[in-house]
Parts: sequence; C-alpha cells; structure tokens
Amino acid sequence: MSDRLLKYLLLLPAILIVVLTTVYPLAFSLITSFRDWDLTRNLEPTGFVGFENYVYALTEDYDFYDAVRVTVWFVVLDVAATVLIALGLAVILRRNGTLHRATRVLLILPFAMSPALIGISWRFMFNPEVGVFTYVLGVLFPWLRGQAWLADPTLAMAAMVSCDVWHWMPYMTLVLLGGLASLPRDSEEAARIDGASEWRVFLDVTLPQLRPVIAVVTILKTVFALKMFDQVVTLTGGGPGNRTATLAYLVYRVAFSAFDMGAASALAWILTAVLIALGAYYMRFLIVKAH
Amino acid sequence: MAEIVLSGVTKRFGDFVAVHTLDLAVVDREFLVLLGPSGCGKTTTMRMIAGLEEPSAGEIRIGGRVVNDLPPRARDVAMVFQNYGLYPHMSVADNIGYPLKLRGVPREERAAQVRAVAAKVRLDGLLERKPAALSGGQRQRVGLARALIRKPTVFLMDEPLSNLDAKLRVEMRAELKHLHHELAVTTVYVTHDQIEAMTLATRVAVMNKGIIHQLGTPDEIYNEPADLFVAGFIGSPAMNLIDGRIDDGTFVAGRLRIDGLGRSTRESVVLGIRPEDMTIGPAGSGHGDLPVYSSELTGDSTLITLADGNTRIAVRADKTVRPAIDDVVALRIDPRRCYLFDAATTRRLAI
Ligand SMILES: Nc1ncnc2c1ncn2[C@@H]1O[C@H](COP(=O)(O)OP(=O)(O)OP(=O)(O)O)[C@@H](O)[C@H]1O
Ligand SMILES: [Mg+2]
Repeated sequence: MSDRLLKYLLLLPAILIVVLTTVYPLAFSLITSFRDWDLTRNLEPTGFVGFENYVYALTEDYDFYDAVRVTVWFVVLDVAATVLIALGLAVILRRNGTLHRATRVLLILPFAMSPALIGISWRFMFNPEVGVFTYVLGVLFPWLRGQAWLADPTLAMAAMVSCDVWHWMPYMTLVLLGGLASLPRDSEEAARIDGASEWRVFLDVTLPQLRPVIAVVTILKTVFALKMFDQVVTLTGGGPGNRTATLAYLVYRVAFSAFDMGAASALAWILTAVLIALGAYYMRFLIVKAH
Repeated sequence: MAEIVLSGVTKRFGDFVAVHTLDLAVVDREFLVLLGPSGCGKTTTMRMIAGLEEPSAGEIRIGGRVVNDLPPRARDVAMVFQNYGLYPHMSVADNIGYPLKLRGVPREERAAQVRAVAAKVRLDGLLERKPAALSGGQRQRVGLARALIRKPTVFLMDEPLSNLDAKLRVEMRAELKHLHHELAVTTVYVTHDQIEAMTLATRVAVMNKGIIHQLGTPDEIYNEPADLFVAGFIGSPAMNLIDGRIDDGTFVAGRLRIDGLGRSTRESVVLGIRPEDMTIGPAGSGHGDLPVYSSELTGDSTLITLADGNTRIAVRADKTVRPAIDDVVALRIDPRRCYLFDAATTRRLAI
C-alpha cells in the first residue's frame, strides 16, 4: 500500500466522526430551514417552502426581535464586564507574591463547574426569601431588601450577566495573565524611568502590547455569549416574560415548545451565520498574528 | 547639584549576593565608569540607583536626598538599558519622544527635538520604523537618543555603545564626551571597552563579584593598581602576573632573576609587569633566558610569548623583532615598572 493511501486511511476515522456529528447535523438543519416540518404531525420534514421560514422569523415572529435585543444587551454587558474585570484582576495578580500565586491556582475552579449547575445554584441564591444573594444585597443596599430579583427584567438580566461573568472571568484572567507574562518587562521599566506614572505605564506601554491577547479574549467571549443558553434555562427561564430569552433559547422554544422545526432551523442558522463570521474573523486574527 | 552616594548597599537575589555592601560616592558632574567582568553586579548597581531594583540593605542618596523609597519617575534619572528596553509598538520617533510627551512638551517642539537628537546618534531616516525593523546597533542608538533627549539630574548608561561598529563607536564616544562637557550632568557609565573607560571617565570603579576593588582616575587605575584583580583586569594584553619570592630585593621565579626591587625578603609574592614594559634581547643579556613559545605580528608591534616552565610571559616588542619559536632569548625588564603583590592578601606591596 502506498504511503499516500495509508495517510488518508488513517485520517478516515476522524473525518467520519466529524462528518457524522457535525457536518451532517449542520447540513440537515440547513436543509430543514427551507422545509416545512411540524413535529406534532410528522416525524420527517415535508415539502420545500423556499425562504418562508426565514421570512417568517424576520417579519412575523416578534419574539425574534425581542430575542435579538436581549442577546445584544447580554453580549455587550457580559463581554465588557468579563474582559474589564479579568484585565483588572490579571494586572493585580501579575505580581509574584505567595497570595497572588495561590489566588491564580484557585482561579480555575469556577470554570471547572457546569454552567447549568451554576444557573441552578444561582437561582436558589436569588430566592427572595432564603437566597443568600438577596439577603446580602438587601443588607448592603436597603432598597433591594426582599427584592424578587428574577421577577424584575433589569435585575434578572443583571443576575444572568453576573452569573456568566462569575463563570468566565477567572478563566479569561488566566489567559490575560499568560499574555502579561509574555510581555518584555524592560519596556515597562523604561517607561517608569522616562517618567511615567504606573497608570501611564499601563496605558502607554502594557495595554498596547497586550492588545492581541485582549482581542482574542474578546472575540472568544463574544462567541460564547452569543450562544448563551444554559443559564437562561436554569436561572431565569427566559423571564420575566421573555425579557431574558436569548436567541439560542428562542430556537429551543420554537423547536420543542412550538414544534416548528423549520422555523427553529431558520432561526438557528441566522445565529450560526453570525457565529461562523466571528469564528472566521477569530481564526484569521490568530493566523495573521502568527505571521 | 547631584552627587550620588551609595552607603553599604547590598543586593541579594535569594542566597546569591549580587552587590556586596557597596560604598560609592559619585561626585557632582562626574563621569564615573563602572568596569568589571560579566556578572559582577554593574547592571544591578545601576538598577538600584534608577529605582528598578530595591536594595536589600543600605542607603542611596541622589543630590542629598534619600531615594530608597522613591519610584523611578521621582528620581529624575535617564537610563540607557543594556538590552535597549524600547517600546516595540511605537515608531522610533515616538520612542525617542516619549519622555518629552510625558512632560507635556507640545507636538511640534517634540518633533524638532527628536530630529535633533536622532541626527546626533545618526538615526535620521529611520524615524518612522518600528524597533523590530532595526539592527541591534540601531536599536541601541534609539535607546541612547531617548536618554539624551532629556536633561536629567543623572545619566545612567549601561554599555550604550556595545553593539556599534568600531567607527560609529568612536564617533558616539566623541558625542558623549562633548555632551558631558556641555551639560555637565553626573553620569554613571558601564562598559567592557577599556579605551572607552579610559577616554570618558573622570574616575573608574573596578568591580568584581559585587565589590569595588579600586576607585580612581584612569591613570591611577592603570598605573597604580590596588590589587591583583585590578592589575590583571586593566590593560590589554593583560599584565603578566608571575608567582615567585623576593630574596633581598631580587625577585626569583623559575629562570628569572630581577634585582633592584628594594631590600626586603619575602616568600610568596606575585610580580606584575605589563607586556609593553619589557623587551627581548640576545641570550645572556637580560634578567633570564627563556624559549620563545609563540610570536604574533599584530601590525604595530610583535606580541611574543615566552615560556618559563609552565608560566607564560607576554612581551610586546618592536615590530622589527621577529624571533622564531623555540629561539632562546633574554627577557629584559625595567624594574621601575614592576609591581609586587602579596600572594595571600592580593594587595599591592610598596617597593
Ligand atoms: N533578577 C535576578 N535574579 C537572580 N540573580 C540575578 C538577577 N539579576 C541579576 N542576577 C545575578 O546578579 C549578578 C550580577 O548581575 P548584573 O546584571 O548586575 O551583572 P553585570 O555586571 O551587569 O554583567 P554584564 O557585564 O554581563 O552585563 C549576576 O551573577 C546575575 O546572575
Ligand atoms: Mg550588565
């Protein structure tokens, strides 16, 4: 057998797995998005309807725009908070004390937890009567005493954002710490000698050199925030009303509450298109940076 | 007024002592050169003066003010880093102009000053480049320009010319000499180049293993070395250091007998004599007959190495002297140019 053939033969299992688990479902859902499929009546997709599902999603289904609004708000708040807090923490933890090192190790813990589990425990902690968050926040800010957090649209969004920030921020801090560690120290020292305050050193010298890492962290976090699902289900249930129902959650509801698989596939593909675009940008960014 | 005074300054990295209870007073307007082998603590000393490294013990004063607890920016020190320390994301012009930008100098004036100092260090035409697109010598000059654009209380320069070619180095040396004359700013300067040290220094501090062995004018360092380390370190080719004993004013080692060295008698001494303070002649006409081990023509002179047992003795002779290897010649030594050192304490002995 020629080496060439063997090479492809050895690749085959991996290719098969990817095709079966990723390419096939993707293609299937893409095709479904152009077909009619009411799961309550048929176990298979039925007739082709062209762009009807997309038109329906974009013009008829008002939940779609609500979901877009929720998702955009969530992404903006979530990404901004995660990256900014992670950056601040990374700068603080960069110093080499015993306490700093210990904290760096502990940082990985929240990320090791399941997002659904985090949502459930946070839901419990936001309980108006017995929740520890409700209690502590009520002591710190008296006007929030006894507040049913998840019943208020703004506070429910705040709860969801804090929950996701808590989950992701430590990991992002670690990534940024890695970026900081790879910066040459001598340019910062030169700036101090040149007369820069610590704040100016950070702004003029550290931050510009860290920009590629910050960009990577931001793009990655945006992708993950866009497909926010777990905590919507487990923490807020999309409520109150649909005020925390993200796009991913809407897809799920259209598919498995309304059983309109065609419309759900169309919605899913609108979200997927955005994710693919971001993913492509991310890859290009990494490759450009590597050169 | 900006004298720098280090009193009992020690720097430890873990168990390793990089700088050992250093006492050093740099006089106002002085150009002090730190000279010493690699790893002897020159950069560490500089970094402590600059405020980048905290002394483990001791006190540092600049202009009478204790600066131990002051951050670098409050010390008004300009520094040229041994490894350049440029801002990789800024253009050459922005690198050089950054100290002025921090001081709120308006853009046009800054640009003019950048151009002027860039011309001094021969960087014109490279101002728009990023440091990554420069050669090592060019980067070094950006670092130099960034320091020279300021009018600080103190200049610290850590081997600022080490990566330049010979011609540029001579030019830059002259620039620095002139600049120091013009600005009269107290300067601490590290170099491995002895000519640089000799030509630029008001005084030279010779360091080894975190200790200053001698502090003196270039003339004193060269002509009155305080101990064996300074004697062996200063001068190129290095001073010959020959183990032997003194017998009533005559140095005895192997086949060498050098008289006229006082009247004392002493076991285990080291005789120091520079290669240029000796000549060779026909066998029997000097202080000892030795075989020629090697003979190298260096252009302006002949460097002859003689063998006395396992001891090698380097002689710088006139370029017309061209002995063959294994010829036996007489070594002629000027006893007035000889140094004697105590082999145990390594200190120089009076003759
Ligand atoms: N951060 C550090 N941690 C541990 N040891 C260090 C550190 N910085 C310097 N040293 C050690 O201290 C000693 C002095 O270093 P320093 O950089 O001052 O030498 P130097 O005289 O400038 O040498 P060179 O001529 O090679 O630049 C060296 O042995 C070095 O290994
Ligand atoms: Mg050094």
